[in-house]
Amino acid sequence: MTPNEPSQPLPGNGAEPTANPAPVPIWLVLVFGALVYWCQLYLSAHAGGFSPVVYTPYASSEEVAAANPQDPGARKRAMGREVFEKTCYLCHQLNGLGKEGIAPPLVGSEWVLAPHGDRIARIALNGLTGPITVKGQEWNLTMVAWRDNYSDEQIAAVLTYIRTKLGDNKASDIDAALVKAARAEPHPGPETTDELLKIPVQ
Amino acid sequence: MNRGPLLFLGLFITMACSWLGFVLGPQLQIGGLAQTNTVVVGDASPQSYPLAQPGAARQGAEIYRANGCSACHTQMIRPLQSGSDTHRGWGARRSLAEDYLFDQPVMLGSVRVGPDLANYGRRSDLNGVLLRLYIPQLITPGSLMPSYRYLFETRKVDHFLSRDALVLPSQIAPAAGYEVIPRPEALALAAYVLSLRQEGYLFEAPPPPLLTNALVFKTNSPAKTNSPAK
Amino acid sequence: MSATPSPASAVSLVSPRSTPAEAGKSCPVPFLCLFAGAVAWLFAAALLGLIASLKFHNPAFLAGQPWWTYGRVHAAGSAAFLYGFAVPAALGVGLWLLCRLGRARLAGPSVVLLGGILWNLAAAVGVAAILGGESTGYDSFEMPAYCAPMLFAAYGMIGVCGLLTFHQRREGGLYPSQWFVLGSIFWFPWIFSTAALLLLVTPERGVLQALTAWWYAHNLSTVFLGFAGLAPVFYFIPKLVGRPLHSYYLAALAFWTLALFGSWGGIPGGAPLPSWMTSLGVVGTVVTAVPLLAVAANLFQTVRHDLHKLDANPTLRFTYVALVFWIIAGAQQIVGVLPGVSAITGLTWFGVAQQELFRWGFFALAVFGALYHIVPRLLDLEESAWCPRLLKAHFYLTFLGILISYLCLLVCGIGQGVLLADPRHTFPEVMKSSMLPLRVSTMGDFFVAFGTIAFLLNFARILTRPCRCCCGAACAASKPREGA
Repeated sequence: MTPNEPSQPLPGNGAEPTANPAPVPIWLVLVFGALVYWCQLYLSAHAGGFSPVVYTPYASSEEVAAANPQDPGARKRAMGREVFEKTCYLCHQLNGLGKEGIAPPLVGSEWVLAPHGDRIARIALNGLTGPITVKGQEWNLTMVAWRDNYSDEQIAAVLTYIRTKLGDNKASDIDAALVKAARAEPHPGPETTDELLKIPVQ
Repeated sequence: MNRGPLLFLGLFITMACSWLGFVLGPQLQIGGLAQTNTVVVGDASPQSYPLAQPGAARQGAEIYRANGCSACHTQMIRPLQSGSDTHRGWGARRSLAEDYLFDQPVMLGSVRVGPDLANYGRRSDLNGVLLRLYIPQLITPGSLMPSYRYLFETRKVDHFLSRDALVLPSQIAPAAGYEVIPRPEALALAAYVLSLRQEGYLFEAPPPPLLTNALVFKTNSPAKTNSPAK
Repeated sequence: MSATPSPASAVSLVSPRSTPAEAGKSCPVPFLCLFAGAVAWLFAAALLGLIASLKFHNPAFLAGQPWWTYGRVHAAGSAAFLYGFAVPAALGVGLWLLCRLGRARLAGPSVVLLGGILWNLAAAVGVAAILGGESTGYDSFEMPAYCAPMLFAAYGMIGVCGLLTFHQRREGGLYPSQWFVLGSIFWFPWIFSTAALLLLVTPERGVLQALTAWWYAHNLSTVFLGFAGLAPVFYFIPKLVGRPLHSYYLAALAFWTLALFGSWGGIPGGAPLPSWMTSLGVVGTVVTAVPLLAVAANLFQTVRHDLHKLDANPTLRFTYVALVFWIIAGAQQIVGVLPGVSAITGLTWFGVAQQELFRWGFFALAVFGALYHIVPRLLDLEESAWCPRLLKAHFYLTFLGILISYLCLLVCGIGQGVLLADPRHTFPEVMKSSMLPLRVSTMGDFFVAFGTIAFLLNFARILTRPCRCCCGAACAASKPREGA
């Protein structure tokens, strides 16, 4: 453990190191070249043309534009999804299957999928209280009213999203005019099942 | 390579490359992002995004910074392809440059010892945050988060219980006649984490494909549903 | 570029200690000041790291006081390592190499001494301020705004003296270590001033702050610490095995590719930035495979026939292990940045493991090796003046500690990443399952802390030796020469 003993000096100890002029090995040059080539491929595939609007997973600004909702219907569903994921999912869950003791399911619910959206629009606008049977199961909870939080367009959009996109729901779109008409009827408290059942949905 | 000046010139150029690419270039490209530039997908009228944080939240950001919260908590949602951030309900979409326009300082973090907080304001409430700061293990047993009791004060009840007093289970509650109230720092910190929300689908991050039901929130054990009664 | 390797063989091989222009003969005080400060800070960093690590065993440990909360202790430990230990140690070793290789005396030793004192004061203020809640909130750039000018001025004082020393060299040819030292001296002020301006003085808007902080942290470790740590590696390995460096050109390739590509990166996968920025970071980091291979090929060829000498010389042993750890850390960085891997391991302990290995396994070990060689020469002592038992304890404790800590964090990070990728595992569940390796890693931290104590004792022992007998004479002898 005592290096540098005078009797046994390490060779060259004390002299400053020098460097041999050995050339760079050819394999390293090839590796370097291959890596630079790979970089070009990688950048052309992933750099999104150096555009400020391209984020992964998109590869180009055209792809980003194409992924955005194109027609009014798609835009409406996107807006609805935004509202759903901001508010409704807290109780009904992101997948719309609801949660025991919190909220009934929306996916496959006969209330949601009714051919005409009058009842569901009123639930969203005015809230709901008291017992209600959804998919054969009885729930007795209270939902708050969203009348003052969202516009007719937004409520129509979220209902459309729930009826057409959530889970395997397939029903017709809800029109903002329908929501507007439902809003026009003043309703002081939350809806109840009895009241709702009086509204025709066919 | 035996000449000092040449060596310095070379170093200067290599340094300048990286500086131009990672400091100046991004500054020129996205340094001018502003609130009004953002287009929220699907909205009829353009919406202002993001909104500036309220004053209490700004003070809270200072508490967050001072206590090094970002050592354990990140504030960024990665795209669907990376990890399972969205599946865990940490955020509906990936994070974008726009989301941090009003953050000062920007504390994205680098390790997740605790959950991501980018959208914490969307999934918690004041009482939940304060309880987690006071005794984290109360809500999440086995949590690694240290207690931030020094942000709270135990004091004698003055005639009436304070409005802010924590509601604690009996085994940790203070002695009779005492109450635990959050100091202003705790309230500011809570205001800050509750202000964290990355909302809306923007042009750069349009709604991703809907997740299959099998993956979404499986852990939350969706309500037992009977077969459709139709 | 005329690439004749330095004709150092022309240097007379008479006992180097009698060469008049030897670094050890310029006043040793500024060097010793830088090194003593660095060693003390290293101890502080090890201790703070240990406290932070212990908090994973019991979150309530020292949780009552704001000063000792995890976030602050963690940031303070990181700052103590980077600004207390790493920068002064890099400067001290770098200046010594410049003196030695240029056969020049240290320029402005009193300025260097002053700079060293100022730097240590600023670092002390900064670390205390971080514990007091004044951290900036950026990784690797935790020092509060009011410390930045002090640090910058202190660095300037020392750095300028380094450049003057380089300028006054009497050796025409440059040895690769000199490039690396110059590169590191040059790199720090630029990245530091950029970060200070854009994060503290006139903060950029939004996520650009995070980008600048990542860029700074990546440059600080990969390029600055990389250069500063590779300089002694390139110096001591050929010198102590007694063979010339295998290839001058490979060293040049490693130097330029590390400077060019090592400075791009540090952005975590999935960061909220346009994809070209993350992609450029990936590309830059992947190409650092070239300097990695070049350094490995060069130095392993140099020591190929002399591996047995590792046992005989502590400097060589530390330096060689540092080199191996540098290669592992670099390879892990490259693997970790690939999109498929970073999607899993990103934002887990995987990155922390790499950082620990780079900081402690590579940089600290390289500095230890250099100090075991340099300090006795500064004090006109034989290397046998080090206590061999403490030296041995230091090596094995540090080596084992770093290895245990690294492997545990690596396993923990990978496990955490794999489990988190499946949303069916809840977050608390995953954290619970990653607890075991995380807790074992504390053992590594204990070893490292004890190893650092052994080094601290040994350093104090060797430092107080000349003071007891001949300090006055040595200083008196060196002072008149400074004036000349």
